[in-house]
Amino acid sequence: MEIAVVGSEEFVVGFRLAGIKKVYAVTPDKLLDTIVKVLDDQAVGILAVHTPDLDRLPAQLRERMMESVNPVVIPVGVEEGDMRDKVRRAMGIDLYKSR
Amino acid sequence: MREIQPTRSELLEVTRKIRLTQNGHKILKLKRDGLILEFFKILDQAKDLRLEIAKRFREASEKIAIASAVDGVIAVRSASYALTGHPEIQLRSRNLMGVVVPEIKSSKIVAPIYERGYGIIGTSPRIDEATDAFEKLVETVVKAAELETTMKKLLEEIERTKRRVNALEFRVLPDLEEIERFIRFRLEEMERDNIFRLKRIKGKMAKAAEA
Repeated sequence: MEIAVVGSEEFVVGFRLAGIKKVYAVTPDKLLDTIVKVLDDQAVGILAVHTPDLDRLPAQLRERMMESVNPVVIPVGVEEGDMRDKVRRAMGIDLYKSR
Repeated sequence: MREIQPTRSELLEVTRKIRLTQNGHKILKLKRDGLILEFFKILDQAKDLRLEIAKRFREASEKIAIASAVDGVIAVRSASYALTGHPEIQLRSRNLMGVVVPEIKSSKIVAPIYERGYGIIGTSPRIDEATDAFEKLVETVVKAAELETTMKKLLEEIERTKRRVNALEFRVLPDLEEIERFIRFRLEEMERDNIFRLKRIKGKMAKAAEA
């Protein structure tokens, strides 16, 4: 399986340097379609997305990405990620609060 | 409640169901506690990895910004297109308290300069440093992917188990206990009726004998 990266040209160029083949440099208006396409790609195991881009997506898609296990979506550029809400919902308390 | 037959066999059946439910409830509670313990074991690692990703991304972004500013965007892009090695990942699965979680193994991500595919002389040390920083970032992302998937799966299972435990504790068990109480009450009532009837018959027979 492969690693995929979706985001602006400035965000993805470094990942291309690291040898990632599935790198999608997109403009904000193409972001949604590209992410949906990558989420449906069976060959992708990990999808890295820039956090500000993630905030621009519709809540429903964000939720789908948060729940997705294949591929796993890793937001890059933030210290908490999408796990905080999920943990709070399942455990009933905010375990990230101490940080 | 009206469809329940207040018979001894029904009472035995309900008592058996209550015992079974209590056992199931106990086992599910143990499973939930075990899952929570496993979850806490990886929570700190996941938090640390998340911080590491943010830190490495900051460093890598700074390095690529310097490389782009000094060597030019074209030079950085051409170096990125010249790469020959591409990291791949393999997904395996393992069982964690009944939850199938992935084990992600990646092929070599951090490569020495001479294996990257672009000429050593053709690129500047700034591009090499940026590449190095991004390779380390990708390595951390792969580690985080394994842990976060495990966390997501554990959280799903914890939620599901909690719902089952609560349903048994607050819905199924109270309902069964209510049925058991109802049957016991009805059986006692029927027994009292029977005794009263027998006493009346005995009284009537005694009167008949006197007359």
